[in-house]
Amino acid sequence: MKRILLTGAALAALNATPVFAQETLATVEERGILNCQVGLPTPGFYALAEDGTWSGMDVDLCRGVSAAIFGDPDKVEYQSVTSAVRFTALANAESDMLSRTTTWTAVRDTQLGLDFTTVNFYDGQGFLVPADSGITSALELDGGVICVLTGTTTELNLADYFRANEMSFTPVTNENVNVLVETYLGGGCDAYTNDKSGLAARRSAFPSPDEHILLPETVSKEPLGPVVRQGDDAWANLVRWVIFGMINAEELGVSSENVDEMATSTDPNIARLLGSEGNIGEGLGVKPTFMIDVIKMVGNYGELYEKHIGANTPIGIPREGTLNALWTEGGIIYAPPFR
Amino acid sequence: MTSDLQTFVPRPDRPPPADSAGVAAWIRKNLFSDIPNALMTLLGAYIAFTVLSAVLNWALFNAVWSADTRRECLDAVGRAGACWPGVAIWFENLIYGLYPKDQVWRINVGFLALILWMVPLWIPRVTSKIGIGLSAVMLYPFLASYFFLGGDKGVVWTGLIALGLTGFVIVWATALTETLQAKTAGAWLIDALGRANAEEKMQTRIRLLAVLAIFLLACLAVWSVSFTEVRTRFWGGLFLTLVISGIGITFSLPAGIMLALGRRSNMPVIASLSTIFIELFRSVPLITILFMFNTMLPLFMPAGTEVNQLLRAIVAVCLFASAYMAEIIRGGLQAIPNGQYEAAHSLGLTYWQTTSQVVLPQALKIMIPAIVGNFIGLFKDTTLVSIIGLFDLMNMARAIGEDTNWLGLFIEPFFVVSLIYFVFCFAMSSYSIGLEKKLATGRDTG
Repeated sequence: MKRILLTGAALAALNATPVFAQETLATVEERGILNCQVGLPTPGFYALAEDGTWSGMDVDLCRGVSAAIFGDPDKVEYQSVTSAVRFTALANAESDMLSRTTTWTAVRDTQLGLDFTTVNFYDGQGFLVPADSGITSALELDGGVICVLTGTTTELNLADYFRANEMSFTPVTNENVNVLVETYLGGGCDAYTNDKSGLAARRSAFPSPDEHILLPETVSKEPLGPVVRQGDDAWANLVRWVIFGMINAEELGVSSENVDEMATSTDPNIARLLGSEGNIGEGLGVKPTFMIDVIKMVGNYGELYEKHIGANTPIGIPREGTLNALWTEGGIIYAPPFR
Repeated sequence: MTSDLQTFVPRPDRPPPADSAGVAAWIRKNLFSDIPNALMTLLGAYIAFTVLSAVLNWALFNAVWSADTRRECLDAVGRAGACWPGVAIWFENLIYGLYPKDQVWRINVGFLALILWMVPLWIPRVTSKIGIGLSAVMLYPFLASYFFLGGDKGVVWTGLIALGLTGFVIVWATALTETLQAKTAGAWLIDALGRANAEEKMQTRIRLLAVLAIFLLACLAVWSVSFTEVRTRFWGGLFLTLVISGIGITFSLPAGIMLALGRRSNMPVIASLSTIFIELFRSVPLITILFMFNTMLPLFMPAGTEVNQLLRAIVAVCLFASAYMAEIIRGGLQAIPNGQYEAAHSLGLTYWQTTSQVVLPQALKIMIPAIVGNFIGLFKDTTLVSIIGLFDLMNMARAIGEDTNWLGLFIEPFFVVSLIYFVFCFAMSSYSIGLEKKLATGRDTG
């Protein structure tokens, strides 16, 4: 009973808007460090090296925000938090932003006291099967044994998909990805399901990756992006526009290599992005040329993608033709204009 | 009169029959005494051989010892052999977590100080063992805290660290004088000053002055040293596991004793408060308490107060462990016959004298196996802090398999981590058996 009461109290406290919400930027500036929450080490998005440094797609968003505020991408302290406690850790102000492949859903956006800023990666759930099984479509998996992580939306999506297509399946569940992968490789299940980025990463570490294929179907929408506490719109704007800035930079051809030359460009779009014209930084509480620092020290969106998860990395998720291509190239990575 | 009584001289023993002595006989008697036994032996040997050869083949004979990525291991031997280079590269992290590499010596020195602090406990001629043990529990943490944490130290913290250092100096002074001169450091000092005949008050004053002088010197020493700050977020690996379980263990024993005494107390308020505390923390799984402390405690705190995540985990572990310890100790207290209490009372001993000199020494002795069992359990339970994102030994092992170069490498790290856990738990267990033998606690031997 006591526990129920306490849990209720905690949930009530979670829903209440925290009183310290308004001044995140000022707090961060005073502290001199951005507290950025990532997940347990995951290749491509927030990978931990043995020297203690973090890298990856989501880590670079934190570095980008740090560069925008301090002109230094490394004034970040990473908090590695399990998915079970990620939202409370953000809601009670242990971290300033959460950048850890979190799916944007209505419930999370509206009921947890959190704000999703924007999407930096479009993922979706898929299936991995052995190539010699002859299966070429998820619709052929009727009656199959499927390996799936417990306690994730993945498990629910799987059930939804099979029910919608009037098929049956036997789940093999575990909470440890490595155990599931061992089961799958040992022939314990016909298919392994997870977000496609995760499947690609895992397959790259199989003894013989070519013997396994990703089925074409995508059975769920997983828009992933950074999250901030609700109630501090100025802070949410800053995080959001750093990402928009990175996307705009790619679209305008500004990269970490040419940003110095571009700084004197006469193209009004580039001039506004890099702060030689107008003063977008002022509205965000940072200096006008903040995007120069972000791009020079971290990179534009395309550079981040190719560096951490692109075709030439061990993860190897090609970008062309996927949702994560720029809108000008058939994808849906699109940012409002910098003006 | 002479007696010609002959003294009986037994003949020397004849050697046992050849078929009942020696290795062959032992084997026949214990392993092949009849057909079912022989079959069981063969089966056992077969199973042992299969398991051992599989493990050895995997871990040693087929293993890859040098590679840059797991891909190279897989190309070389597939999954038939272990891929040790990944674990080797990460090994330092398994021990020290993400602690900055150039600061790791501080952890080593910190633990070395603890070992040095404890060494006098094993020197037979040292007599103030209780004092030394207590000082290690009460004062060492202050010294260690600065080695591990570093950073700005205010006046209060400087004082506490100096107190730790003072404790260390006095412990070794005592150990030296007791070993060499068979007297305490204080007595030695007074003798050296030639004040052995001075009155008691004077002697006390001299001792206090000496302690004060050491303390001031320690303050100066502490003041002049400064380490860079290493935030607890970088703590991890075996180091973190030892910190959490070490604090849990040292806290839970005295707290458990107090709670157990409280629960048996005649004072209703104390008895019911102790009972409530014990039952509350014992009825909830540790993982729930960890979650409670980790995610909900900050919600009840005034806005802006920041309680360190590690501290929250440690507090949770301490409270949980002391509730369990309290019940073990209460069990031990109940095993002491009532006659002991009555005899102590009739001698005119007060409650505290009865408890500390009659009951607890007997109770703690019979409880050694249970207490050490609880310590071992606590040591292993600390793996649960990985759930709230602290990089303890377990979580660090998992991180290896998520490194891009070593993706999917998880059996090898867990194998190594199991070995580390085994070494520590086995050491604790052996020590407790040694302690039991030394104190001869078994009922049957008394």
